Amino acid sequence: MNRFRQVSFISTGLTYLLIFVGGMVRVAGAGMGCPDWPKCFDRWIPPTSLDQLPDSIDPSKFNIVLAWIEYCNRLFGAIVGIAITLTVYYAFKDYKHVPKIKWAAMVAFLLTLVEGWLGAVLVHTVLNPITITLHLLLALIIVMLLLFAAQESYYLENSGLEQTSQYPKNMEWVFGVFAGILLVEVILGTEIRGGLEMVRKENPIVDSVFLLKMLGPFKYIHTILGFALTGIAGFLWFQLVKKSTNPSPTMVQSSLAILLLILAQIIMGEILVFFDVVPLIQLFHMWVASWILGLVMIQYTAWKQSSISYE
Amino acid sequence: MNKNIIIISSLVIALGAGASWVIKKADASHEIQIIKPVPEFQFVNQNGHSFSDKELKGKISVLNFIFTSCAGPCPIMTNNMTSLYQDYVNVPEVQFISVSVDPGVDTESVLKSYADVHGVTDNRWHFLTSDIESIRTLKRDGFMLYAGELPQGHAIKFILIDDERNIRKYYDGTDDASMAVLRKDLNQLVKKIRF
Repeated sequence: MNRFRQVSFISTGLTYLLIFVGGMVRVAGAGMGCPDWPKCFDRWIPPTSLDQLPDSIDPSKFNIVLAWIEYCNRLFGAIVGIAITLTVYYAFKDYKHVPKIKWAAMVAFLLTLVEGWLGAVLVHTVLNPITITLHLLLALIIVMLLLFAAQESYYLENSGLEQTSQYPKNMEWVFGVFAGILLVEVILGTEIRGGLEMVRKENPIVDSVFLLKMLGPFKYIHTILGFALTGIAGFLWFQLVKKSTNPSPTMVQSSLAILLLILAQIIMGEILVFFDVVPLIQLFHMWVASWILGLVMIQYTAWKQSSISYE
Repeated sequence: MNKNIIIISSLVIALGAGASWVIKKADASHEIQIIKPVPEFQFVNQNGHSFSDKELKGKISVLNFIFTSCAGPCPIMTNNMTSLYQDYVNVPEVQFISVSVDPGVDTESVLKSYADVHGVTDNRWHFLTSDIESIRTLKRDGFMLYAGELPQGHAIKFILIDDERNIRKYYDGTDDASMAVLRKDLNQLVKKIRF
């Protein structure tokens, strides 16, 4: 493993963890845990007790638990930022002549800067709903770019890996449609979540299952697209595993994993609708969606690699 | 492959456990602090039924101290209590308690007609009375409120009591802003016992 591969592998893993931590901030309602940005209550390390609060800040705004949850998210974000900076550095150093790796890493890096800025906007707009969705969407795109760069460099080092596998041609659009619908699905999911929060604020003692019904159309589209995704994932598995000659272990495993994770998503979604909107399940529902996106990227790079070696 | 699955599953389980701990902590940090438990008492309500601290158990209660012939802030307080009583008609977990600080005048029958005038038709709103000393003790020692010069020295506080008989918060019973906060807190506690 060269330096780039190590660093990009770590960056991808850390970004996935950060998506999880960010989701946790959301379900814990800690988004405004620190009312300022980048400092927290005007300090680089948040206060641990009331008497550390600067005079200019209203003490009733201070909730030590929420402040530290949000602070951990920011701290972890900074670590991921450093990891991605190293990734782009090694991409330019080790893959000077491989534009797709170089530029994927570069775009990921630039988007990370935008992501940090969006974090500041979120605090300044007191969690504007559209910005929250954009914040997540950008994180998903960054993680996919990192994964793409990591997989491409993996195949450059191990060029023989997909050589013996032969997959059906002209599949690009299937991957594209799948990833596109998945992203729309995530946006709808955050809309459902945001809408739920809104009606819940106005009707605090009505139970969540009833509230979900009030959200009508969003929820139905979410379910319908979920069926579409299940169908496409099944189609991908059938084409890439069943209809292919000697599919690689990477392809077999990622295709199977997508199907299993979609099953898990359906189960979690149904639990949220029929039982209760459990924050932990909400969190995993979102996180698993990001995993599926990553796995599709792995499928795509494997498929592409084979078509290159086949030609 | 098997090793990877084990690593990934344990990571996911660890993250899940960590996240649920964090979420629980965050939820608890939103909670209204417990001030102290309500001490034992045994009073009588407007229907002549005994009403003790045991009746607080399992319900969220909003309690105030009034007297029926009071012309000052009591009408405002009682109006505010009446709108709560009406608005929470579908929330059987919530009860309202008005303790008279003028037992000499506010007999059961006086309290009964006071309740009728304010449209009390079910047992969600209790008007309590007892002997003056028990009332004074409950008010002063139990609720930490001024209890001299009764009945004039009654307080204008609404007191939120949870289903475990703990005092959670005090509100200005004559002020709309405090009433809005009370409703929010009330809903939070109701949600807690419902789900």
